[in-house]
Amino acid sequence: MRISITVNGDPVVQPVDPSDTLLSVLREQLHLIGTKWGCLTGDCGACTVIVDGRSVVSCLQTVGQIDGADITTIEGIAGRGRMMNDLQEAFVTHGAAQCGFCTPGMVVAAEQLLRDGVEPDGAAIREGLAGNLCRCTGYSKIIDAVLSVALARME
Amino acid sequence: MNGYCRPRSVSEAVAILAANSGAMVIAGGTDLVIDRRLGRADPQAPLVDVTGIDGLRDVHWDGDELHLGATATVREIESDPAVIVRASALAEAARVLGSVQIRNMATLGGNLCTASPAAEMAPPLMVHDAVVAIQGPDGERRWAVADFATGPRTTILASGEILTNVRLRTPAHSGSCYLRQTVRWAMDLAGVGVAAWVLTDGTGREAAVQEARVALGAVAPTAVLVPGLEALLAGAPPTTERLGAVSAAASAACKPISDTRGTAEHRRHVAGVLAARALSIAHARAAGLWSGGLAPVNGRESAVASSGARA
Repeated sequence: MRISITVNGDPVVQPVDPSDTLLSVLREQLHLIGTKWGCLTGDCGACTVIVDGRSVVSCLQTVGQIDGADITTIEGIAGRGRMMNDLQEAFVTHGAAQCGFCTPGMVVAAEQLLRDGVEPDGAAIREGLAGNLCRCTGYSKIIDAVLSVALARME
Repeated sequence: MNGYCRPRSVSEAVAILAANSGAMVIAGGTDLVIDRRLGRADPQAPLVDVTGIDGLRDVHWDGDELHLGATATVREIESDPAVIVRASALAEAARVLGSVQIRNMATLGGNLCTASPAAEMAPPLMVHDAVVAIQGPDGERRWAVADFATGPRTTILASGEILTNVRLRTPAHSGSCYLRQTVRWAMDLAGVGVAAWVLTDGTGREAAVQEARVALGAVAPTAVLVPGLEALLAGAPPTTERLGAVSAAASAACKPISDTRGTAEHRRHVAGVLAARALSIAHARAAGLWSGGLAPVNGRESAVASSGARA
């Protein structure tokens, strides 16, 4: 089948096998490799993208289900013409990335959490990011980064 | 059909399934996509995607029945105001299932149809005495959700049938609660999951129990209702002594296995502890004594226990 989707603001018409995952279409057909190929069982969150305003694990999302959807990947988080948004800047200033493998999924999941109006509270942010595993940082600096943006965006 | 189709109506889905005996139903895909990848399900089996069916995702009141569409996502269930207030156990179970990402995809019907022994949605629906609607080639049939799963990953669904909705009633002076024990705070299957539901004769501390149900998840091949609670509880408030008897009955109703999430003995014990705790909170909710909102998520049950005791 052919799907028509919007990816990071751009319309995309793509021939796909509808039972393929969004992750494989993003990486192998659209060459958007910021979205990471992690556990493939929905546990690690490295493949998190936003589909119609909801964060999903793209490794389990079959593309036949999302014809017409509006998709944001890590490549589209900053918006056109910008290197990074405030959340990505905060990850840098707080030292919230080490090896970096989880970072795209972590940023995308955190961005949607912020858009959903998460309480500016460490526990709420931890709960909201429970589906994103990081083996390096111990999470504290990630939570600090997200918390700083949650507070800044309230002003 | 080819390898994949996306019907727009239940009747169309049923007709496609009737014509394609090897086809599998896909909803959120959070179990099936993994199973296909790992070879636990046939990766070549044609898929009938039910997420495009009009109305199958609705959550609404139908008279005095709360109607939960089979493809409503777990995230939609956990954030639905009617579910939170009138079927608290279901909201509490929904919000500890997987991660935000998984809950945005996983569906109520999918959780029931996968029929894991640890299925988070089963115990709360069982204590609410929910009824599932099943559509097949011969029309619709209704079934108690308590009898829907028949074993690990097996249900009463016959070939060509799909689950379309789940309905439950929430009478005045009723309340429910779901608590669970896990090894990790999040992203874990329940070691033990316990739902409780109570109907009282009024409000206040002395409100007597009229009906009560407790269901246990992850301690038997399917979620199970604890038998004999009416005799232990009816006609009086749930005193410490009566709650002790509920604990013993819950532990006795377990047929647990030992695995990485706990030994059989530990599960039996925890089921008893959580049963009394959940029942006490359900009573407080039924009797209008509860102002604490939903129970804190997993790993912080001790806070609930103390507030439950105060209630």
